[in-house]
This record gives sequence, C-alpha cells and structure tokens, in this order.
Amino acid sequence: MTRARSLASITLAVALLAGAFAPASAAPARKAQASQPAAAIPRRADGHPDFSGIWQTLSEADYDLEPHAGRRDAPPGPGVVEGGAIPYLPTALEHRKRNFAVRGKEDPRQRCFVLGVPRGVYYPAPFEILQRDEDLTLVHQFGNQVRVVHTDGSLHPAESGKDLWLGDSRGRWEGDTLVVDVTDFNEETWLDRSGNFHSEQLHVLERWSFLDKDTIRYRATIDDPKVFSRPWTIEVLLNRRRETNFRLIEDYCYTLEYADHYPHKDGQ
Amino acid sequence: MMKKHLIALVAITIAAPSLAQAPVQPRGNGQGGGIQREVTFPAIASAAWSGPRTADGQPDVAGFWSNTISNHSNFTDPQAGPPGEPSKQAKLPRDQRAPSRVSDPADGQIPYLPAARALQEDFARNFSNPVKPRYVEPLARCAPAGVPKSYMWHGFEIRQYPGKILFWFDSGWRIIHLDTVAPLDERIKLWNGESHGHWEGNTLVVHVTNANGKALFGRYGDFMSENASVEERYIFQPDGQRFNYVATFTDPTIYSRPWTATIPVRRFTTADKPDGWHFDVHPVNLPGKPLKYEHDERICAENNGGFGGGAVGVPSESAVIAR
Repeated sequence: MTRARSLASITLAVALLAGAFAPASAAPARKAQASQPAAAIPRRADGHPDFSGIWQTLSEADYDLEPHAGRRDAPPGPGVVEGGAIPYLPTALEHRKRNFAVRGKEDPRQRCFVLGVPRGVYYPAPFEILQRDEDLTLVHQFGNQVRVVHTDGSLHPAESGKDLWLGDSRGRWEGDTLVVDVTDFNEETWLDRSGNFHSEQLHVLERWSFLDKDTIRYRATIDDPKVFSRPWTIEVLLNRRRETNFRLIEDYCYTLEYADHYPHKDGQ
Repeated sequence: MMKKHLIALVAITIAAPSLAQAPVQPRGNGQGGGIQREVTFPAIASAAWSGPRTADGQPDVAGFWSNTISNHSNFTDPQAGPPGEPSKQAKLPRDQRAPSRVSDPADGQIPYLPAARALQEDFARNFSNPVKPRYVEPLARCAPAGVPKSYMWHGFEIRQYPGKILFWFDSGWRIIHLDTVAPLDERIKLWNGESHGHWEGNTLVVHVTNANGKALFGRYGDFMSENASVEERYIFQPDGQRFNYVATFTDPTIYSRPWTATIPVRRFTTADKPDGWHFDVHPVNLPGKPLKYEHDERICAENNGGFGGGAVGVPSESAVIAR
C-alpha cells in the first residue's frame, strides 16, 4: 500500500514537472477563453477561473453513484459513473453488498462524520469555495469539513501515512481546468449512501471546470487497487446557489446528540 | 435498537490532564512549546491602518494566530487552572498571573444575575466529576468552541477574501460577513452565531447575534444565553504581529450589565517553532522555495480525539441524524 502511495506521488511529481516544462499555462487559458464568449465565466485577476461561490449538486449521486430505480430510501437516479458500473474486485464487491444491507445504520453520514472526497462535493448540501491565488478553501456546510486545495505549486507532503479524512489536495491549472490530485486518505468514509466504499489506498484525481458561469462540471477519477480493478470516473454538475442572501448555515450535526444539555440544562 | 448512552460513561473518566491534546514540552523562549503564559500584554489603540492590505483593501491579517496567556481552563483567572486542579501559578500573588479576561467591570468578574451565577457555580463544582452530561465541557465533546472560547483555545488561522473573513479553528469554522448579505432570522441559533463585520482602521468590528449559548466560555462554566449579542473588536497592532480581541457581551437575561472581555493574541510565523498547541503546522513541500507552513485537517468527533479535560471525545456509535 505504501508502494501504491509512492507511485501516486511519483506520478504526480512527474505530472507537475511536465507542467513546469510545458508551454506557459497562461497560453492554453487564453486560447480557451478565446473559444468562448469573453464574459462566459468568472475569472481572477491572474486569468484563472474564479470558482468563488456557494455550490451544490442537483444530482442523486449521494444516494447511489450507480444507476438505480427508486427505493424506500433513495429517489431514482441515472447514475454518475462512466460506463454505469463501479469495477469492484470480487471480494470488495461482497463488502459493498454487505454495506448496502446495513446502509440504514452504518453510513458515517448519519453520525455527521466528515464525508470525505469526493463525497462531500456531491453530498446534497451547499459548500462554499473561497479562492486565493495560492489555494481554494472548500467550506462544507455539513459537519466540520474544511478542505484546502493548494495551488501554490506545492507537492504532497514527503511524509505520507497521515490517513486524512479529506486527503491531501494539490491542484494545478490545465488551461481553465483545475486538476487536483488527492491522496493520503483513511478508510473511514463511504462514497455514497448505498455503501460504495474505498480503502486507505484511495487516490482521487479531480477536474473542476466551468460549464457556464453558474455551473461547475466536476469530474473525479477514483482509483484504489485494493478495492477496484481499474480507475473509474464520475461526473456531476454543481450548481451555484443563487437565492438572494443565500449563505452557509453551520450544521455541526454531531452535536445534536448532546446539545440539549447546554447551557446548564438537563436536556431530554 | 436502544441508543447507547456513551456520554455518561465517558464523562466519568476525568483524570486525564486538562490539556489532552497539548504535547507536554518544556516552555521555549516564547516560541511555542505548550501554552504561552504572558503575565502582561500591551494595550493596542484603535487607529488608522498603515500596514499591508489585501487586494480588496482590507488590512492584511491573514495567517496563523494564537492567544498568549492560557487556555479555556479558567476565564477570570486564566493561569490558575481549571476547577479542582490549581496550576503551580495559582499559589503566586494574583498580580503575578495574567489578569482576568474580564476587563470591564474593574473587579474582573462577569456581572451575572443571581440565577445565572448559580448555574455557573454549579457547573464549576461538578466539572471534575461530571455525573451528568450537562457538566461535561462541550469542547471535550468536539463541539465548536464558539464565541469567545475559540480565541483562547488552540491556535487558529485567518483567511481573507473579498467581502468575507474565514476563521479556521481546530474545532470548526466561522465566516465573518463584510458584505451586504442579510442577517439570519433570529430564530436560527448557532454554536458560532451569526457574524457581520466591517473594518475601522486597524480594527475589525464584528456584531455577533444568533449564538446558541451552548459553547460555554470554558471549564468554569461561564456562559451567555441565546439572547446575547456580542460586539467584537479585533484591534491589530501597527506591525501586524499582535491583536487584542476586545468583546462586549450584552444579555439582560443573565447579566446585570454589559461587560467586556479582552484576549491577547499574537501571530505565529516561520520564526516560531511549530508545536501542538499554538502553531500546529508542518512545512509545505515546496522544493527550492522559502519555508512556508500549513495546517492539516483537525478532525475530532470521528477519531475520538480528546479535546480537553472532563472527558475524551465522544464518538457516536449510532445515527445522530435522520436526513
């Protein structure tokens, strides 16, 4: 597993090096800009897309990433996995079936735990992107989840094995697409409410781009040699929350279990 | 299935040192290493700002910060230790410890109405043996530290954006609206409240409403109710290396008059040694570039992290939400 992680790091390092020696990234940005109406998407002073805002998916991805008919605990959904099915290894598929059977009580979401990556992105609650030149900070309304996507040219930490809930996110621009390599996960999170899962060898490559000024096309390629037979890709759209005065409202729902005891109350 | 009552079980284990997360390290030369314990600190006057500014014109105060006197063990005698666990300094004459965080009134005490004082004292009496859930300090259960406790616990980061400031704490986040977004309905009560602010020279002025009053101010059980409003003034030193957090609490339902808290805070930089309390950071992997630090995610409830005395973290073993 350490080997897989180092391989991922090497792959990223090579990709970053390749980026460094490729023609200046501003050039493709200008090209992409020229092929669309100039005002089509918000941009920062440095020309990169400006993803600042509050976003939320309309998709049914969090109920089940794969195509599914409506059931007691999920509306129907066409699925967001390219090719339709998640390529589980045989033993992992058994585990996934077991998760599905106990989803009503074992989905970490029900304890308001950190949803992880990519699940937090398509969980049906808003998240805010706060953007600077050197990073994007994703503040999720649900639970206590703040993820930083570094865009300062930094690499994953040399030391791995931190087993992070949200992973370690390093991004780079490919034209108008933000490409984010996420590694160093723990195995505690699920990928959706239906029990799709991963191990600590999860490696996610995200691609964030504007479809139009109020819609992000979010793609994530998910790899985990312990669980899947090959990398697979999902795509969901993220819609800007445009209601007047819309903003995040903190939702530290794990406190609901004990909140009634404060301040200085016996609760229920 | 019957819900497990973990809370009561966990609440009884208390003997843990009151700073479960703080590595015990000898105090360095003011460069971190446990809780910094300034006995005195400078006043900072509200004035014009001549330092660097962000692209949208705010005083640039982004970075890592931490308070300089103590943690949340004791609000009014910050270096004397939590209830039932007096610190070494507690034996010293009072003027050899940092002053009360209550800077007004002059006696350093929160001007509670009698019923509220009784609730606070009841909590303090029961803190070291919390036989009921209400006596467990909520931060020990991974609850957000809220206002003002967030500023006297671990170090935190300030990130600035056009129209917004993000405070990123180890126990959650808080967004200060500098923009014109309308205030939340008063019926919505939150751990960190609702914050609208603006800059006046070197001072960030923030009006806080909608607090749920649940976070408490620390281990003595000091508190506000959900009827409180707070006027916060973050007054930054001209060199940008310190600020004083000066907050006035108004709540006629539990206080006899408005009162003011002052918490001194200083900036942590690459000149400081990272530690597990003020400056819990590691170097960014940026080969060939100047040293820069970053902070990892800090997840509490999920990994059963102990976040303070009175209890260890209380992870839920069954569903908390049905949505």
